[in-house]
Amino acid sequence: MAQTEANPEKTGRRGAELRRRLRIVRQNPPLLAGAIIVSGTVLVALFSGVIVNPNSYKILNFPSALCWSNPIYTWGIPNLKACPGKTFYPLGADNYGRNLLDVIILAVPLDLEVSLVVVASAIVIGITAGGTAAYVGGWVDEAILRVTDVFLAIPSLVLGLVLLTTLGQTFPKSGFAIITFALVIIWWPYYVRLIRSQVIAEKQKPYVQALRSVGAGNVRILFRHIIRNSIYPIFVQGSLDIGGVILVFSAFTFLGFSPSPQIPELGSLVNAGIDNVFIAPWLVLFPGLTIVTISLGFNLLGDGLRDALDPRFRR
Amino acid sequence: MPLRPNSQSGGAGLLKLHEYLLRRLLLTIFVLLAISVITFSITRGLLPPATALTGYLRLGETDQTKLSIAQAVGVATKSCPSFSAFLNSQKGCVVPLWDQYFYWLVDVSKGDWGYSNLPPTAATAPTLTIFAERFPYTLQLAMASAALTILVGFFLGIISATRANRVPDHLSRLSAIVGYSIPAFWFGFILQIAVVLYLAVRGFPLLPVSGALGTGCALCVANPGQIGTYTTIPLFDSLLSGNLAYFWDTLLAMILPAITLSIVPIAILSRILRSSMIEALSQDYILLARSKGLRDWVVIYRHALRNAILPAITACGLIFASFLGGVVVVEYVFTYPGIGAAALAASRNLDINFLELDVLVSALIIVVANLIVDVLYVYLDPRIRY
Repeated sequence: MAQTEANPEKTGRRGAELRRRLRIVRQNPPLLAGAIIVSGTVLVALFSGVIVNPNSYKILNFPSALCWSNPIYTWGIPNLKACPGKTFYPLGADNYGRNLLDVIILAVPLDLEVSLVVVASAIVIGITAGGTAAYVGGWVDEAILRVTDVFLAIPSLVLGLVLLTTLGQTFPKSGFAIITFALVIIWWPYYVRLIRSQVIAEKQKPYVQALRSVGAGNVRILFRHIIRNSIYPIFVQGSLDIGGVILVFSAFTFLGFSPSPQIPELGSLVNAGIDNVFIAPWLVLFPGLTIVTISLGFNLLGDGLRDALDPRFRR
Repeated sequence: MPLRPNSQSGGAGLLKLHEYLLRRLLLTIFVLLAISVITFSITRGLLPPATALTGYLRLGETDQTKLSIAQAVGVATKSCPSFSAFLNSQKGCVVPLWDQYFYWLVDVSKGDWGYSNLPPTAATAPTLTIFAERFPYTLQLAMASAALTILVGFFLGIISATRANRVPDHLSRLSAIVGYSIPAFWFGFILQIAVVLYLAVRGFPLLPVSGALGTGCALCVANPGQIGTYTTIPLFDSLLSGNLAYFWDTLLAMILPAITLSIVPIAILSRILRSSMIEALSQDYILLARSKGLRDWVVIYRHALRNAILPAITACGLIFASFLGGVVVVEYVFTYPGIGAAALAASRNLDINFLELDVLVSALIIVVANLIVDVLYVYLDPRIRY
């Protein structure tokens, strides 16, 4: 208490800084919308086991399979199956008679987790390889760049398809690790490129010279100073890519590369719905809509962050 | 023209361009070789030799046949006495990985990609034949998507830039972000649901939802008959044969897959075009053109767009990659008989030969597209010198 009174100017400045930041968020509707969707998604993912009984996806109830009990919308399907019993299915029931809303809520954590792990791993590889390439330069830079060229030349879905085929044959029992690994292989070159260009721009600046002149080591300059100063664009790209990874991850589980299709996962859910797509369209619509929402949230957040952090757009 | 001597570098502009092109070409060859190494490593390098075979063996074959298949695939040596000796990885029976790569590369460069086990022939037709049969379908789908991408992408980009920070711009930017967030596999099914459930005429969907030749749809011609082979691309062959019914049905069947395939490329293109158009519209020559009293559309399309188009061309590689990857999902969703659906089938049948061909051809297309873009750039933009 005494401290704050002793330094009123500082708290005032801090309050102004906070107000300025809040204004940036308010003047930037994409950022606001993205932040709301992302925090909502994260909350649902963290507490999915509390919101819904975590084992409810194992309880099968065949009499209510593919039924619809929400009177607000009836799809215009002539012989829509009404749900028996008292249970209310707001998003309909799936082909095992489970409440689709519950299954979707249980599926969110896995999709989010895989995307986070993939983007985090890609950033770590990018910082290590891209930072080294830019800082050391010369043939090391050239070699690392050429390797990224090679990986970037293969379309990501094709690369992932082949990797999942062969890795799935070689390590049949490793669960979602294979698909995560394949996604990291797809995404790391982008981060090497991004971080390399960041570091190249940053290492020309006077403060790097100053650090060198006071005798700071190369590793210290690179990782403690340069990377820290170029972290915002990496965050922006990371947010955008979480939205992208979810799409590719669910595309692969949709195509049948899920190691255990009975585990709730949004892509597998869409896949499970396609056999009855014209009888029970909600089985495809809602899991996919969840993917769109999550991906859109991260894309809006990344886009808004870029505008907010870029001084050229600052008002 | 870009070949004007550059005063600052003492008139060496021409020589430098040649040097640049040569360097670029050598680099491309190197990248292609490296891609072959990567392809080989992620297919045969990752698979144990016996597993690499499983896609090509059938039930009830004698050990002698199996051994000859193993030798044909290139995993067993010619001197190997029996198949069980190969399975037990007896000394001198399994070809070392480096030798495998070398033999594979020699065969592949001669056009011998082995046999594909994909239906209908099941391991009796050369992989290249199977691929060549399906590629025209993917090509026509990609061409339709490219046309759609250019049309819609330019429209959205120009609308955005000319009405920057107003409602049309916000809508166009929002649709680009939504486009980046839509999973193609889901959107394909949403289109199918919409057409089958809500756009049906007397029980028939308005547009076909599967196959390369529309059947059972309201707008389709029932039996379009046969066409000759001129270009192998059905869309063109039907026109060249004068079979308009066939052309119509082929076109109808491409509408939904092409829309699904072009969502992401449209988002890419409209974003790039927006920023480059805004940049171009803020230049002095636009102010001059406007002050001369030129009409708005002349200023936008003749002056600004021509200069804004260059960055959009750079996105070609990205857009090609999006098409070649996207077809895997889109062709599966619409049961379209192209290379994407075939690659997925090959993955399920463990048809390594087909997957290798698919990866290398995709990479080749992208690398060559990037090369052409880079060279084109030098000719299109006189300011660029290397």
